[in-house]
Amino acid sequence: MISRTARLAAAAVAASLALAACGAGGRPAEDGGGTGATGEAATASDVGITETTVKVGAHFPLTGVAAPGYADIPTGTKAYFDYVNANGGVNGRQIEYVYKDDAYNPTQTSQVTNELVLQDQIFAMLGGLGTPTHSAVIDFLNSEGVPDLFVSSGSLLWDQPQENPQTFGWQPDYEVEGKILAQYLAQNFPQAKVGLFVQDDDFGRDGEKGARQYLDSQIVTVQRYTPGNTDIAPQIAALQAAGADLVVGFAVPSYTALSQLNALRLNYKPQWAYSNVGADLTLVGSLLARFSEGAITDAGLLEGVISTSYLPNVTQTDDKWVQLFGKVWDEHGGEGDLNNFRIYGMSQAYTFVSALQAAGPNPTREGIVKAVESGGKTFQGPWLAPFRFSADKHGGIAGVAVNKITGGTVQLLTDVLVTDNGTAPITPVGTPPSEPTANGIPDVKPVATG
Amino acid sequence: MQQFLNVTLTGLAQGAVYAAIALALVLIWRSTRIVNFAQGAMAMFTTYIALALIEAGQSYWVGLLVALVSGLVLGALVERVVVRRVEGGPELNAVIVTLGLFVGFQALAAILFGSTFVSFPAPFDLRGFTVGGVNIAFTPNSIFVIVAVIVVMLALVALFRFTNLGLQMRASAFSQEMSRLLGVRVGALLTLGWALAAVVGSLAGVLIAGGNLVSPNYMDAVVVYGFVAAVLGGLESPGGAVVGGLTIGLLLSYVSGYLGSELVALASLVILVAVLLVRPQGLFSHAAARRV
Repeated sequence: MISRTARLAAAAVAASLALAACGAGGRPAEDGGGTGATGEAATASDVGITETTVKVGAHFPLTGVAAPGYADIPTGTKAYFDYVNANGGVNGRQIEYVYKDDAYNPTQTSQVTNELVLQDQIFAMLGGLGTPTHSAVIDFLNSEGVPDLFVSSGSLLWDQPQENPQTFGWQPDYEVEGKILAQYLAQNFPQAKVGLFVQDDDFGRDGEKGARQYLDSQIVTVQRYTPGNTDIAPQIAALQAAGADLVVGFAVPSYTALSQLNALRLNYKPQWAYSNVGADLTLVGSLLARFSEGAITDAGLLEGVISTSYLPNVTQTDDKWVQLFGKVWDEHGGEGDLNNFRIYGMSQAYTFVSALQAAGPNPTREGIVKAVESGGKTFQGPWLAPFRFSADKHGGIAGVAVNKITGGTVQLLTDVLVTDNGTAPITPVGTPPSEPTANGIPDVKPVATG
Repeated sequence: MQQFLNVTLTGLAQGAVYAAIALALVLIWRSTRIVNFAQGAMAMFTTYIALALIEAGQSYWVGLLVALVSGLVLGALVERVVVRRVEGGPELNAVIVTLGLFVGFQALAAILFGSTFVSFPAPFDLRGFTVGGVNIAFTPNSIFVIVAVIVVMLALVALFRFTNLGLQMRASAFSQEMSRLLGVRVGALLTLGWALAAVVGSLAGVLIAGGNLVSPNYMDAVVVYGFVAAVLGGLESPGGAVVGGLTIGLLLSYVSGYLGSELVALASLVILVAVLLVRPQGLFSHAAARRV
């Protein structure tokens, strides 16, 4: 603790010396915002920031059952940061991105987060993945004053600015997603008997909460599965027995695959709708691919499945963002191809670069939090709906579009719809989709934060 | 009614796999008086070997055969190299060693084959039959699983009851010293017991993997329920293991289907405790008669 305080003091002294030396009229960095003038010299304005670098950390499951798919996210983030660095970085600073494996185990998340904050001295946490995992470190990050930006999970926990002022969500939370999906289903399948197939934790509960707002009277049964127990045959049999002809799933990808497999055994063919989380065509398709003997072809089992999207899909090759990310991945990516998880990671990186620019030429931890609160709503990027960030709202993307898997790609069934938690109405987003800037790097002006 | 039928049928198919693991545990118990907690991990490992072959373009049957053969070799090696050193010592030592093997095999599989879920093909159709317009959760693949387990059980019963080798194996497990005095090659028979058990375990591993997703820890739950099944059957009798396996499969399927999937693990614990309290020798054991 002593050494940390000493370092902070040293950083503050260094900052003020530098400011005094350059003699420009720049405001103290602690104000959080820069002046927007380019004349301000780069200083080591806070922990994790030097004149030439910014250090960012993250925890992801790189091994274990949660690793398929999710382990690709940080490779996308890193590729995008490398791209930005190759183009001069942000305000002359190169972004150093350190991500560590927590195997989706909260104990390990605490350990690697300690390392990142105390040893690696990161400036901010970016996109730490998972509800149970990140919940374990949210108090620590907030008490240390580390900006905890854009958690990779749709739990409602990240949107508590009073208790956790440093923490921000990113993807649409499960309640918002559940509401929009359920409204579409209620409007288009008014006679359907609805069965819910949900994970027995926050993810399933938040989704169910949203779905019940529009489908409550149509729901005939709710079946919950326990993550780790792969025998879900009884749950699928119960859905079938209840006569559900529309099943809404809030499940992770492996359980989406298992539900399809068990339905096959029962010749059970309802209309399926899955949360975005569990409906990645490529990943679920690869899990089901080996059962293709007989009538099933590759992702054929998922044909006609309804889901949602809040980012462009990798199969939409004519999308400008997909083209940009394809270029980034070709130039700076590692092994493998661009996929939806890497697009997710790159989009988060894009958001972070926007936030860093908004925090001004000499960002501080306090400054970047304020910049996201006051400027985050206007960040332009690949996300289909805007963020909901403000001083009293830390919820992420405001909405999704409902889509359908057809012929190996996704087709949007609705406009992008936005809403908020609770009984907030669902409305079309109203703004046209944004396009990448010419060089593919955000161009956000520093936000004046009072 | 349809739900009851389907929950029953999926329970039976699942129970057949628990029975196979219980058979393997019984086999080792009968031939060496050790409960092998690494049984599931060893089976998982040979299943991955089969998967590697299938991915390389071999047929399912080649994969299955190689899995069984590598099970045989692995079982013999584990007994000779590791377990032999703690046999005859305090019972706890052997148990701890098998727990260590369990962790070791899982870690090794994660390093060699990756730790994510992958799908494992099935030899037969995964679509359920339709009888008189009613869909039932019974597939050609479930029939294959149940038939395979019954054949193995009958073969084991025949081995122990009707062959000289079986008699020697039972004798050497029961009283090593006496058997040795009578000219039985106890050491070789212990190795054989482990090897055969690992073959049965490998079969269980491949059977449960068929048409499902596998990861290095996919056998964890199976081996726990298989252990409960073996205890239910008395740890002594192959027939008891199979009946125990099917019973556990059915009970857990009913619990999951009618009470909730979160209660499955708890229910298996309740069954285990109830059996140990009410009939500690198991439902099919003759152990009481053997007490000296």
